[in-house]
Amino acid sequence: MFRRQFMTTALAATMLTAPAAMAEMAAKITEPVTITFYSYNLASAGLGKDTTEGLIADFMAENPMVKVEAVAAPSNEILSRVQADIVAGQQPDVAQLVFRDLIYAAKDLGAQPLEDLAGDELKAHSEGMVPNGLALGRVDDKTYGLAYTFSTPVMFINADLFRAAGLDPDQPPRTWAEVKAAGIAIHEATGKHGFFPGAFGPIDGTFVYQSLVMSNGGQVREGNKLTYADPAAAEAVTMLRDLRDSGAYADIDVAAHMDTFASGDLAMFLFTSAIQSRMVKAADGNFELRVVAMPSFGDKPTAPTNSGSALFVLSQDPVKQRAAWELTKFLTSKHAYTQITSKIGYLPLRLDIVDDPKYLKDWVEANPMIRPNLEQLTRLTPNVAFPGPNYRQVESMMKDAAAEAVLGTGDPVEVLKAAQERGQALMPADG
Amino acid sequence: MKADTRRLVVHAPMIVLSLLAVFPVWWMVVTSLKPENEIFSTRLWPASPSLENYAYVLDAIPMIRILWNTFAMAAATALAQVLTGLCAAYALTRWRFRGSGIAQGLIALSWLVPFQLTMIPNYVLATKLGMLNTIAGLVIPNAAAAFAVLVLTNAMRSFPKDLIDAARMDGAGHLRVLCEVVVPNLRAPLASLGVLAFISAWNEYFWPLLLTRRIEDTVVQIGLQMFMTQEGNQWGAMMAAATLASLPILLLYLVLHRQIIDSFMRSGIR
Repeated sequence: MFRRQFMTTALAATMLTAPAAMAEMAAKITEPVTITFYSYNLASAGLGKDTTEGLIADFMAENPMVKVEAVAAPSNEILSRVQADIVAGQQPDVAQLVFRDLIYAAKDLGAQPLEDLAGDELKAHSEGMVPNGLALGRVDDKTYGLAYTFSTPVMFINADLFRAAGLDPDQPPRTWAEVKAAGIAIHEATGKHGFFPGAFGPIDGTFVYQSLVMSNGGQVREGNKLTYADPAAAEAVTMLRDLRDSGAYADIDVAAHMDTFASGDLAMFLFTSAIQSRMVKAADGNFELRVVAMPSFGDKPTAPTNSGSALFVLSQDPVKQRAAWELTKFLTSKHAYTQITSKIGYLPLRLDIVDDPKYLKDWVEANPMIRPNLEQLTRLTPNVAFPGPNYRQVESMMKDAAAEAVLGTGDPVEVLKAAQERGQALMPADG
Repeated sequence: MKADTRRLVVHAPMIVLSLLAVFPVWWMVVTSLKPENEIFSTRLWPASPSLENYAYVLDAIPMIRILWNTFAMAAATALAQVLTGLCAAYALTRWRFRGSGIAQGLIALSWLVPFQLTMIPNYVLATKLGMLNTIAGLVIPNAAAAFAVLVLTNAMRSFPKDLIDAARMDGAGHLRVLCEVVVPNLRAPLASLGVLAFISAWNEYFWPLLLTRRIEDTVVQIGLQMFMTQEGNQWGAMMAAATLASLPILLLYLVLHRQIIDSFMRSGIR
């Protein structure tokens, strides 16, 4: 972790500030052009890689003048790779970056604002996208990233453990109070673990934490002011601490939450739907898997936040910008989302393909577990990235503080306040 | 009977410790033979063992090509480190020149500089030299190692000076002295160093991650990492890949086990 942060900081310091948008994007491609596409899906063996390679091949078949050179890097290393290549003069053209890097990509990495780059083409392309779809990649009223592979938190349920505890899995918990009651009952009756949110630990779960905070009406920051210790945000963390103190919260290694659920030892697991296909395989013959929407704070509607990544156009050359924009459009088209949803398990940014027999209708009917997540898309709330050169450290301090507040022994509000004060010193001072 | 009991008392802890040491390897192989829905079972042998994970690994990534890349990179790195270390150690011990102490001190200090610090300048240079995706690009930044120079300098210091002087009086040049007098007598430390350098290069992760852009050009540690994602680890496939990746090192151990044990004894386990 230290090495990764060190590399990112060192590279950020090495890089020049972002150049402004260069010449206008070419209207069309008249000569062969090669562009690079940096993707973390290509760095994992299996469906993510195969699907992405298939989409690139489809794009090149449709656009014979464009050759896409794919560059693979793991999700936690891809920003360093992009930075290193910019420093080395190997300008990336399209990059798949996680949402935490959004502001950095917009302000320091040279990502092109799509309104300036594509104008009316962006408006036409965004038709049919979920409400808030473009907002996911927006900074200061401009869209820098087009949401690509993303999901929202859903609750995976081990129905067998519910039955073993005398609970009805057809009536899953819908509020945090019900999660607490079910978690205690399951732990006491079976000796297995009740509930765990994939919010903390080395596997990125900031979107789960932010979903909880925003579902209770809180915010992690407002402008350049950190607010994650403010009452509504802190209350969400205090609720988790209460779950832990009551015994409803699983006492497990935070790095092993997915494996604990897959092994059948955890009854309720709040995490991204992107792991659904893995859980289906793990549950096969071992336990009955179900998926429900994330629980709410009483009657308050939930505010599911997006995990995953967006596509950023980094090209500076007008012809390459055109090719990069065409690739970006293709990768967020109805065809691409049909592939991405049905093969990898992410959500479609376009809800109009869900009931379309040409696209996802048959698949959704055969895989009803995606329904709770699709329903949550109507309340999709953009993940909040942090500004300034210390954004990763600020986010990391917030995550560590939230984890300590839930899993530690100190007063949770005081823990959050102390971290917020330290983190504020790392935030940009101006506007 | 008494002797048998004594032998048992002496051997029992060693047997237990050996089993403890072997167990992770056993578990790796067993996990590689388990289907997905059995991965978390604690049985010592899978209920329905299969080679599915191996077939998947060979299909999902170019494993044989990756293993070959890794072998070529590790062997070339080890050879380069031994050669550069040998030449540097010979110069530092046999030639008296102004600043030799400072040179040796600087080499020792460079051992304290983490590779991550020089990685980006190295990457920029490698890019400019067109060394992306090449074995040469992987090897050259690691071709000289302070550890190798220091180990061989120490070994050469204890080498009898009279032998070298005798060879010089017989008219042998420095290269001949090095090749025909020094090297044959320093076989043990050279072999130990070579083995350590090979294993260290085999386990390299960060530099290949940065330098290689295509899976066909990368090395085994990156290949293994491909089965670990934010969406969870593919344990069966990863253990199958790890088993395949262990085979060349196991083969090396079978051939050179005396030197490997000797090198760990000399340098401490790294």
